[in-house]
Amino acid sequence: MKFALDAVFVEQGCADSALAARVMRSLPPDVPVTHVADAREVSRPRAGASDPFGDGKRRLVIARRKTPFLMPCPAGSSKFACCGYLVLTLASNCPMDCSYCFLQEYLADNPAFQVYANFTDSFDELDRLIANAHGRSFRVGTGELADSLAFDSITGISRDLIEFFAARENLALELKTKTDEIENLLAIDPRGRVLVSWTLSPDAVYRSSEHLTASPTARIAAARAVLDAGYRVAFHFDPLIAYPGAERDYIALIDELLDIVPAKQISFISMGGLRMTPRLRGAARDRFPADPMLCGEDVLTADGRFRTFTPLRLSLYRTLAERFKKAGAEIPAYLCMEPASIHQHVFGAAPVRPATIGERLARS
Amino acid sequence: MNADDIDAQIRDLAAERRLPPSHLKHWLAMDSPSRAAFFDIARALRLRTGQLVTALDTLDEIAVRDHVTIAAILDRPELRRIAKAPGSAPSRATAMLQALRTLRYPRLRKMQEQLRAEVSALKLPRSISLDLPTDLGSDELTVSLRVRSAAELAQLLEVLGQKQTGLTRIIEMLGGKI
Repeated sequence: MKFALDAVFVEQGCADSALAARVMRSLPPDVPVTHVADAREVSRPRAGASDPFGDGKRRLVIARRKTPFLMPCPAGSSKFACCGYLVLTLASNCPMDCSYCFLQEYLADNPAFQVYANFTDSFDELDRLIANAHGRSFRVGTGELADSLAFDSITGISRDLIEFFAARENLALELKTKTDEIENLLAIDPRGRVLVSWTLSPDAVYRSSEHLTASPTARIAAARAVLDAGYRVAFHFDPLIAYPGAERDYIALIDELLDIVPAKQISFISMGGLRMTPRLRGAARDRFPADPMLCGEDVLTADGRFRTFTPLRLSLYRTLAERFKKAGAEIPAYLCMEPASIHQHVFGAAPVRPATIGERLARS
Repeated sequence: MNADDIDAQIRDLAAERRLPPSHLKHWLAMDSPSRAAFFDIARALRLRTGQLVTALDTLDEIAVRDHVTIAAILDRPELRRIAKAPGSAPSRATAMLQALRTLRYPRLRKMQEQLRAEVSALKLPRSISLDLPTDLGSDELTVSLRVRSAAELAQLLEVLGQKQTGLTRIIEMLGGKI
């Protein structure tokens, strides 16, 4: 296990679960384990903690999820041209600590790192989805409210997921991560149905903002390793941060990536500019007051979020899109949380409908 | 004046202005020359509560981004000039906040100037106005026509047609072709 835990809590009824047994087997002996009647009691911010959100990341709660596992991406909105991503919430929060992370706002009242003992119930939801979908394909990811692989060495959830998805033609699993925790993946044949994606940032952003993550070079090396093991790979340049020198650094990063992973073997790329609600911005600045990446030329925009002012943001998108285009392969690409007009500016064409792009990305 | 005296005066000013406790804490956490330099400015320009908050936030963000102290920022010639200029304290306070915003958003300011120059170069009649998005926070250009007759409308549309190359250039700049 690469990430430290202060404590583990097991909700009543979960102690005999396969997940709890795996966690107990892998846990260092000095981490205290407490059994609780209701996980909500220990998932809230701890009174007296100087950094309640950071404190929550080091408390692992094994609980039963009482709400559906599958949902449309919470970032989706009719204002944006979305990618049709479906989110499977098998965990909540992340042991890494990126200064810009939206979870600082989204999980502010519920920051403990939760994993759901009944996660295999999500498989029934997925089977119902495809049973009613008349042959449509879906891209389903576990990396929205948590990193897909950060605690895989103790939960082993990826193995169950890959075996489930490998047997279903109309579902593609996306494991999204900033780690290089790929050991479990290398032992399973994904049968072409699993995509592993990495968020990539230049070294300057990694060093300044992406605490406890694997380095960009390590992420790219991990991508190469899973590609060789039969997985598809994709990359998210999100958040793009328009710091001085960003253009040069992003091009160098893409060059480094393309040296290791040929363009024609990349399933897709996504890009999304740094965006923060005022509340998130306040929380991030409070937790990371010395991070210059949080002090870019961001202005309040019509959707109520701070974003890099539009021409600069779009100029950076264009630079990246053109660099990938020069690589010679038609890599599918989309923008996250941007309206259709921005797609038009960057790619020279209007985006397709979310359902259509979701299907394309699932099959790419 | 020693550091304790300065801190006492900062606390007095903060109480007088009802500065939020988080901002007072931030002010007192600055290095000693920065604490004093900001106090001098706040007193000389008689910054009001909102101005104090904006100035503290803006200075902090510039300091973090540029890896400099707040004292070093306030010592820049353009800011010293404003602090020592003749004129009323409120007008100098407004000028100071504008100058800080320019330092905080250098590329935005430059882009806005370029776009304004493009708009100006079109030499449009007064009955056609082009409004750039606030803080260039979107890609939307607003074109307004003021007419009182169909003939006037036809004439303005013809003018817009003649200026299409320049207008396209502005729209492309807003779309990131910079």
